Amino acid sequence: MPVGLSVGGALGDPSPSRSFHPSRYVPVSAAAAFLVGATTLFLCFTCPWLSERFSSSIPLYNVVIFLFTLANFCMATFMDPGIFPRAEEDEDKEDDFRAPLNKTVDVRGIQVRMKWCTSCRFYRPPRCSHCSVCDNCVEDFDHHCPWVNNCIGRRNYRYFFLFLLSLTIHIMNVFGFSLLYILHHTKQLDQVHSAVTMAVMCVAGLFFVPVAGLTGFHVVLVARGRTTNEQVTGKFRGGANPFTHGCLKNIAHMLCSSQAPRYLGRLRKPHSVQVQPPFLRPPLSEAQLAAKVLDNGIQQSKSSLEIMESQSTDADPPPPPKPEHRYPGLPHTQNEECSLLTETPPTPSLYKYKPAYSSPGKKHTASTHSSKMSRGNSMTESPSVPVTTGQPSYCSDPSLSSRGGAGCRGGGEGGRAGSGGLGGASGFGGRSYPSFTDTLLQSAAASCSSSLRTAQTAHNALGPLISEGTTSTSYKSLANQTRNGSLSYESLLTPSESPEFESAAHELSPPRPQPPHSLSTAPGAPPILGYTSPFLSAQQREGSLQACPAPLRPSPNRAFLCPTSSPPSRAPPLSPRARSLGSPPPGPAPGHTPLGKSLSYGGGAELQHHPSSSGGGTPMPNSTIKQNMANHNTHSHKPAGGVKKVTGVGGTTYEISVVND
Amino acid sequence: MATEFHNLQELRHSASLANKVFIQRDYTDGTICKFQTKFPSELDSRIERTLFEDTVKMLNNYYAEAEKIGGQSYLEGCLACLTVYLIFLCIETRYEKVLKKISWYIQEQNEKVYAPRGLLITDPIERGMRVIEISVYEDHGSSGSSSGSSTTSSSGR
Repeated sequence: MPVGLSVGGALGDPSPSRSFHPSRYVPVSAAAAFLVGATTLFLCFTCPWLSERFSSSIPLYNVVIFLFTLANFCMATFMDPGIFPRAEEDEDKEDDFRAPLNKTVDVRGIQVRMKWCTSCRFYRPPRCSHCSVCDNCVEDFDHHCPWVNNCIGRRNYRYFFLFLLSLTIHIMNVFGFSLLYILHHTKQLDQVHSAVTMAVMCVAGLFFVPVAGLTGFHVVLVARGRTTNEQVTGKFRGGANPFTHGCLKNIAHMLCSSQAPRYLGRLRKPHSVQVQPPFLRPPLSEAQLAAKVLDNGIQQSKSSLEIMESQSTDADPPPPPKPEHRYPGLPHTQNEECSLLTETPPTPSLYKYKPAYSSPGKKHTASTHSSKMSRGNSMTESPSVPVTTGQPSYCSDPSLSSRGGAGCRGGGEGGRAGSGGLGGASGFGGRSYPSFTDTLLQSAAASCSSSLRTAQTAHNALGPLISEGTTSTSYKSLANQTRNGSLSYESLLTPSESPEFESAAHELSPPRPQPPHSLSTAPGAPPILGYTSPFLSAQQREGSLQACPAPLRPSPNRAFLCPTSSPPSRAPPLSPRARSLGSPPPGPAPGHTPLGKSLSYGGGAELQHHPSSSGGGTPMPNSTIKQNMANHNTHSHKPAGGVKKVTGVGGTTYEISVVND
Repeated sequence: MATEFHNLQELRHSASLANKVFIQRDYTDGTICKFQTKFPSELDSRIERTLFEDTVKMLNNYYAEAEKIGGQSYLEGCLACLTVYLIFLCIETRYEKVLKKISWYIQEQNEKVYAPRGLLITDPIERGMRVIEISVYEDHGSSGSSSGSSTTSSSGR
């Protein structure tokens, strides 16, 4: 009856291992039958005479050995050999799509390969193997024994070995004592007792050869510290075995180690610990801050991807997310305004737009986008806490967070939403992709929230570019792109600053050394589409910038300025690079780049150059540029198709085509 | 609208699982249970390196203690043989005792160190002792606001 035979099928379980295979139970049943049957016969027919003739200790001894054999047989049969539970989905998320088939690990100086198990979904630890009969990965897999119908692994190898040992001894006992009986009853061989004894003797003799052979084999294996699997597959034939500790120690390990725990069937205690925000954050070291800048892309891509997938393209600008609520005791107003007003060097363009969003920001009218962003924001540290740099990983400008510039981090945190660059908090309205130009323009108010918002929209823009079903693959690919983008920006933007924005910088911000600063101040209102640099906000705040580690400052700008490692001398090469930069999550590079590189998303893919607006030479989309144009006349707005040549600070020359949208 | 704000404020301080970090086993000393003490970059901003390393080192020590072959484990083995393994029904093996200690330690660490930082460590035994799983939580808000808006929209209909 098919249904009866395939229990799994009846229950809808497609796993073949679940189906009932009666043939599997034949060897184990036969082994049990022979063992118990023969011994019982021996004890009943032979032992009474032995106890009378010689001593009653003989049957006792035989019984003890028999019980020991039986116990080990049962343990070997019924004990979990060390089955690994299947890996949960979230564990292999990263591995699945780009997982190499094998991972090599160094075990005591010898390279051991860890294979990816497709059924169990993890890399098999050394010495682990997947049993096709049981459909399980077993730790320290020895072999699958049909006589016990079980895998022999780490947990039950000891019992299996002792079973073999004791069975050999038992067989020898039975054979020996049976022989003794026969030799003393040569003239009564026609008796039942003799006949039975002879039969038992034959069975014992028959089984002795294979059992003893197997026992000897395993004695050698234990001495060498190998498993049957390793021996049979010839793994350590020529080379050294990294798993051996010497003969005696191997024996000790096998016999005397504490019983290993089972992994399956354990009572899982639910977490009794509650995780409640606000969360403590560790203070970042300078090295970490620097590292964060470079790491931005990867983390950004991941988080931004999450955000993108969950967001829908929304015509309405998401309201500015509420400021960091890590420390709820602190008034929001204080966070936003305080930092902006007190810490930031006065920047007219910035404050022009800020007020419009300060109150909404506080109320934080929720929209999915902004909510997502604020989620991201929440990751960054609270503006009120200068010390905790919060999400360094997501904030391209660690100094921002650390300096109480945190104030506007609320916006900058937008960067957290996977666009470290967007962190620009600085009220630059962050960047967004051309498709959201209108939205951005509206929200461009240079408030923190605006930057956040654009970050969100940027994420939205990115959404269509990347399939929803994007997996870790895209994460990694995005990360790579972002990183490249950052690097290219870096090269573009020589150590000192974004060359493109030099001219603008003059007008907008006094000190040349702070191109980002000028950059941030320049655009002010217009939303900087493309990459928002957290440095925008940072640079706005002179003070915070000072504290910024030197290498840190230039790098973000650099990151945004140059899509490629070599300073581009013409616009066209920039376009493709811009495109590549565009694909990663918004604001990958910490440096805000009004360079209109975001246009790549809109298909414009032309690197917009807006020197006046930027201080930091961040790419700006067309719309941003237009906006900026309005605000900063220093920048000569080229007609569509025009190529602007900008001399960078470092002496590099860039030709950027400015395209009107 | 009011509903939205209300929900937002209510859910503002909830934490949501953002990411999971897996600390892999360190096989450089063989198949003994030992975890890598290398500090993962994902936790860089969440917890101090020293705290993390202390936790992992402590766990490694516990596991080493569990797998130690000494008097107690030998005695356990002998006793088990003599009683035909029936002793396992009565007493707890050394390994199990140490696992309990480990479980207690992890809970303590979670309460004192990790949960305040928005992290949670999962006992590696639940993963077959292949990885230490650290769940990274983010605080709230988006889930709150999104649910708020959805509530609003649904109520609007």
